[in-house]
Parts: sequence; structure tokens; C-alpha cells
Amino acid sequence: MSDDLMTAAAGDDPREGLLAVHSLRELADRLEALHVERARRLGWSWEQIATVLGVSRQAVHKKFGKRFR
Amino acid sequence: MFERFTKDARSSVVQAQDEARRLGADRIDSAHLLLGAVSDPASVAARALATLGVDHDGLVTTVRALPHRSLDADALAGVGIDLESVRAQVEATFGPGALDEPAETRGRKHLPFDKDAKKALQVALREAIRFSSNRIDTGHLLLALARLDGTPGQRALEAAGHGRDELERAVVAAWADTTAA
Repeated sequence: MSDDLMTAAAGDDPREGLLAVHSLRELADRLEALHVERARRLGWSWEQIATVLGVSRQAVHKKFGKRFR
Repeated sequence: MFERFTKDARSSVVQAQDEARRLGADRIDSAHLLLGAVSDPASVAARALATLGVDHDGLVTTVRALPHRSLDADALAGVGIDLESVRAQVEATFGPGALDEPAETRGRKHLPFDKDAKKALQVALREAIRFSSNRIDTGHLLLALARLDGTPGQRALEAAGHGRDELERAVVAAWADTTAA
């Protein structure tokens, strides 16, 4: 990674920091959907998935229940 | 809602969903409705915009340039994440392109309309009423999109350099053409 990028992240430009947060959130959301879908296919219960994600069973079911039965 | 839509308006809404997916969006917004409305070159909206020198492909470029939810490789590099190596690992497990689909759309058959897109569909009905038409076509939809200030569809039209009055004249001319044909 180039030096100016490191400077940008650690630096004081709010725009760079906010863009990074936005992309991190998006990346986390996409990874979550991929892994939940796969876990369900492999027979994981909503309870098991929720425990590992650190959220309630209801929360994970509400978010993915319809899509990844 | 859709029972008063003409055939071309209905198919434009179906197209809007494909446009949204192609652009990697997680819902159908007003810009996708706009792209859907002009996807068939024979539609009222496409013919009206053609007279102003605007076509579907040009609008796609404009819409792409609007801000949207995305993975910004540079921004991630700024916090020490190499998006390309994440992508390589993810694709090894989930297959090619796995990281390209927004989280919201994974596993869904239909994308939801966002708030502005729903509003545009309602305003299209009002536009039809304003022109004493009992059917809603892509011309009404286009005029509705142009009315919703600050929405992606309106901004795309604005970026293409066309205000509401000019659009309205073009749409009215396209209707007149249809009637004459």
C-alpha cells in the first residue's frame, strides 16, 4: 500500500475516513450474507449463527430468514 | 398501482429491476426507473429524450457517476485492507463474483423499490391526470422523475442537461408522433 494512502487513513481528512467506514460496512454486510447463506446450506441453525455473530436469534432470522431458509 | 400502466410503462418497470441489478444496486431507485423507461428505444420516454440527444447508454454513464453504495478499494487500502486479496479469498470459497453482489440482494428474487422510486410511480399517476390521460406511460414516468428534486433520477436528467420544461415539450411531441402514426 502506498504511503499517501496510509497517511490518508491515519490523517485528518474526514472524507477519507468516512469513505473507509462506508466501504468497511459494505464489505462486512456482503461477507455476512455470503457466510449466513452458506452456513444455512451446511445445516447450521439460526441459533448457532446468531451466537457466532454475537446477535440474537431473532435479529439474524429477521434479516435473513426469508432468503436463506 | 400498475393496472393503469401501459404495456411499455410496465415493461420499463421490469427493466428497471434489471438495470438496478446490473449496476450492483440493492434496491430500485429513481435512476433505475429512468434507465428502465428509456431501455426500449420505441418507448415514449426514449423517443422524447432522443430528440434532446440523450440515449440509454449515455444515461447509464451518467447514473454510474452518481454516488452509490460500493466497495472503494482506495478507501479500504487506507485502513490497511487489500480489497483484491479479500476478493481472491472470498471467490475461492464462494465462487467468481461473490463479493460483487450487495448484501441486500443476495438470495432475493425481487429488489425492493426505494422511497423515491415509489414516490415517482405515484407522481406519474398525477402527471397522467394532469394530461387527462387514463393510462400511465413512460412519458408520464419521465416527467414524474424530473419533478422529484434531488433524487438520483432527477439528478441524472439534470446532469444530461435538461430541465423540466424542455422535457415536457419533448414528451408532448413524442405523444403527438404516436397519435399521428
